[in-house]
Amino acid sequence: MKQENIRNFCIIAHIDHGKSTLADRFIQLTGGLELREMTEQILDNNPIERERGITIKAQAVQLHYRAASGEIYQFNIIDTPGHVDFSYEVSRSLFACEGALLVVDASQGVEAQSVANCYTALEQHLEVLPVLNKVDLQNAEPDRVADEIEQVIGISAVDALRISAKTGLNVPAVLEAVVAQLPAPKGDPDGRLQALIVDSWFDNYLGVVSLVRIVNGSIAKGEKIRVMSTGKDYEITMMGVHTPKRVFKEKLETGEVGFIIAGIKDIFGAPVGDTLTRASAPCGEQLPGFRQVQPRVFAGMFPIDAEDFEDFRESLQKLRLNDSALQFEPENSTALGFGFRIGFLGMLHMEIVQERLEREYNLNLITTAPSVVYEVLTTQGEVKKVDNPAELPEPGNIDEIREPIIVARVLMPPDYVGSVMQLCMEKRGVQRNLRYLGSQVQLEVEMPMAEVVLDFFDRLKSVSRGYASFEYDFLEFRAADLVRLDVLVNGDKVDALATIVHRDNAYNRGRDLCEKMQDVIHRQMFDIAIQAAIGSKIIARSTVKALRKDVTAKCYGGDASRKRKLLEKQKEGKKRMKQVGSVEIPQEAFLAVLGVDKKK
Amino acid sequence: MNPGAAGPGAAPVPGPDPAIPLALYLHFPWCVQKCPYCDFNSHALRGETPEDAYVEALVRDLEHELQDGERRPLASIFMGGGTPSLFSGRAIGRVLEEVGRRLSFAPGIEITLEANPGTADASHFRGYRAAGVNRLSIGAQSLDAAQLKKLGRIHDPGQAVDALRLARAAGFDNINLDLMFALPQQTQTEALADLDGVLALQPEHVSWYQLTLEPNTEFAARPPPLPDDDAVAAMFDAGQQRLADAGYAQYEVSAYARPGRRARHNLNYWEFGDYLGIGAGAHGKRSGPAGVVRRARHKHPRRYQETAGTPAAVQEQRRLSAQEMPVEFMLNVLRLNAGVAASLWEQRTGLPLSALDLPLAEARRRGLMEADPALLRPTALGHRHLNRLLELFL
Repeated sequence: MKQENIRNFCIIAHIDHGKSTLADRFIQLTGGLELREMTEQILDNNPIERERGITIKAQAVQLHYRAASGEIYQFNIIDTPGHVDFSYEVSRSLFACEGALLVVDASQGVEAQSVANCYTALEQHLEVLPVLNKVDLQNAEPDRVADEIEQVIGISAVDALRISAKTGLNVPAVLEAVVAQLPAPKGDPDGRLQALIVDSWFDNYLGVVSLVRIVNGSIAKGEKIRVMSTGKDYEITMMGVHTPKRVFKEKLETGEVGFIIAGIKDIFGAPVGDTLTRASAPCGEQLPGFRQVQPRVFAGMFPIDAEDFEDFRESLQKLRLNDSALQFEPENSTALGFGFRIGFLGMLHMEIVQERLEREYNLNLITTAPSVVYEVLTTQGEVKKVDNPAELPEPGNIDEIREPIIVARVLMPPDYVGSVMQLCMEKRGVQRNLRYLGSQVQLEVEMPMAEVVLDFFDRLKSVSRGYASFEYDFLEFRAADLVRLDVLVNGDKVDALATIVHRDNAYNRGRDLCEKMQDVIHRQMFDIAIQAAIGSKIIARSTVKALRKDVTAKCYGGDASRKRKLLEKQKEGKKRMKQVGSVEIPQEAFLAVLGVDKKK
Repeated sequence: MNPGAAGPGAAPVPGPDPAIPLALYLHFPWCVQKCPYCDFNSHALRGETPEDAYVEALVRDLEHELQDGERRPLASIFMGGGTPSLFSGRAIGRVLEEVGRRLSFAPGIEITLEANPGTADASHFRGYRAAGVNRLSIGAQSLDAAQLKKLGRIHDPGQAVDALRLARAAGFDNINLDLMFALPQQTQTEALADLDGVLALQPEHVSWYQLTLEPNTEFAARPPPLPDDDAVAAMFDAGQQRLADAGYAQYEVSAYARPGRRARHNLNYWEFGDYLGIGAGAHGKRSGPAGVVRRARHKHPRRYQETAGTPAAVQEQRRLSAQEMPVEFMLNVLRLNAGVAASLWEQRTGLPLSALDLPLAEARRRGLMEADPALLRPTALGHRHLNRLLELFL
């Protein structure tokens, strides 16, 4: 394929704005797949992505398009995640592209995450082509939304194509615009090989599979390549593209995007963002790669069955190959035993990791309440990073605790400004700016990250009936009057239940937490005392009264096997509980802190 | 315990283990009407009770069951239902006669029949006594007219009292009364009034059990408002005291007896003894060289009668695995306040006691079982929280 006939681009869109439908249309129009082979929305490959209607991992599809001019073009469409937690993966995908389609729902208007992703694309010098989707809907307002794109993002949208991915209206014009308006990759076909690892994943049969973008030179099957960061050499055994069916190829040329398999068995052998070169003629330097992403939220995960610890470690290592944002280190909890302290990009990321570990690796895990990273200035003048409330130094040794502050940008229709502002204030937010942009309002608020990671996203959706969107950036660490709220169960401090809270909220939190725990811990053979404490001071308490009797009334000759099955079922129901001392604590109790604000 | 019990490690003998006692359960599947709480195999009777045909089916079924040469004497017989008291004394006499032709009766055999106060009949009762029945179990359930109605019972409180009087007149000197508590909206005062009413009748044995909602019953589909757990526990405590004061000792979760009057047939279940289950939907358990086998007959009376006497009468048969044995054994023996001797485990299951080491140690550590190594006995706490205790043996 001639390099000038290659177009590498991604589709930036909010959830439900029609990205997957549009990609499906492209595949259909270019004959990439028979109609009967199309299960809906092909790009969302992972079952969790499909169920949640989101994209987590970058995917690439190669299509061949015969343009109106008669020329054949190669399109590589790189899918991008749409959720704020995964903005880092977006920037990674953008590295493989020269252009981006910004797809905006003409009835809903732009939303914050698309804006943020669009800015990232512009920073990376991508050509952005706005497209107004769903113009077939009754309430579509393409003129208003075009105006909004200009005001909010600052790119011209007068000529934005008005399409309906669902009906197919104007979709061929989008393909023509890709040819005419998006640039071809630049790169030296005769130069030494430089290929960027955009994504890697582990396949149980093939070993490590990497999605690569050939920046300079070319790469062929059977050649020896070198992973630059490790200096290790591997022979390429298979390579190819997805159309979206897997098609094997002999060669990938400058500007192309495809997968390679090089017998890499060690899951850390092909790190995302690394550069591949030819072993026999290495290039001088690595490609810039990506900035290492910092996890924002930390939580402990513990196998319910202690024997699963090694399996858990192995599963995390495998997951991490596909998810370079995942960080983990062993954690030993007095209450929960051996597990891992895991760093996540956000709450959705955490939920997805837990779901994948349970579904794909068949593990039963308890997750503790997530925490952000705090900076603690000790009385000795040291600054310590603390991502686990249990590791907060004794109050006497703390000079100051600083919490991470973010700048959140919320985009919403004017009707919801009042309730969204109220929510932000409740979350200890300080307003920075309020701007009217077209028919939307942008609110900028400084907020403690701890308040945001827990349930802000859900609350925002509910107070705005789903119309508000937001994205955020880390701003700084700022001193605050923070204390550790401990929870004692039958007089024993349960390290995994501790949280760090603002002193002003401590009493309410403690009381709500005790109440919530009383609801979720089921009655057992003994009274269970639940106490919330700051230091040695008990600030709230509740009691789970003992169940006085738990016995089957009747059991005669015909009942035994049935009773045994009931007992088995009862035991099965306790799978997601952890025995702490003599008390069985269910998973919900560990996450109770997340929900304490919700009922207000 | 039986004399001649096989010691640990004894080689398995062909045929049933003679050391394990054998009982016989006979099921009579018809009722005048189905009660909304009842999950036993019972069918509303339409028309006449098909006495002769059903008795013939029972005999054919028993004949077939005994083909393997079962020779152990019967320690007890229990005729349950449904409502066996729908059957005449003549029919019951015929059944017992046919059983006696095929199996010997141990000296002092206990022969119980379940009677519904709504079908109590003086001539029936005299007939049962004459046929050899020496124990009656009367399903009083409550002595409160309103509760009886809610429970779907066909009798009123007066009939329950009459049934006992008729039974005494017919010569029964060993009578059980079934009584439930934790009935819909029942208060503790009401529950105790019921219990006092039953105790005043001076039965030899009381089965006093909590109403629970069982799957596939009308109550499970449309649950009535039952007292909460704490109220039920309080009723239970107060009732226990009443029963003890009146001279009825609790020996099982729901069973209370005057001295020497324990239900031997039920004790055999709880001591993991063997029993033949004959009749529609009846369950049996037998031990032999092949291990412990549970067997159930077809539930529907018509299907049962069509197949009785052939292997097709058995709807389900399974051998208990060594993994299932601990909980199957424990969920019976730990119902007994006194538990059982530890040696009973090896005798009844053929497995070494060491198979219980881990869960036993945990149960003792948690204070749910007595420490005495010669006994398998729940503590008072373990007995009250039997479901939790049994989880350890899964």
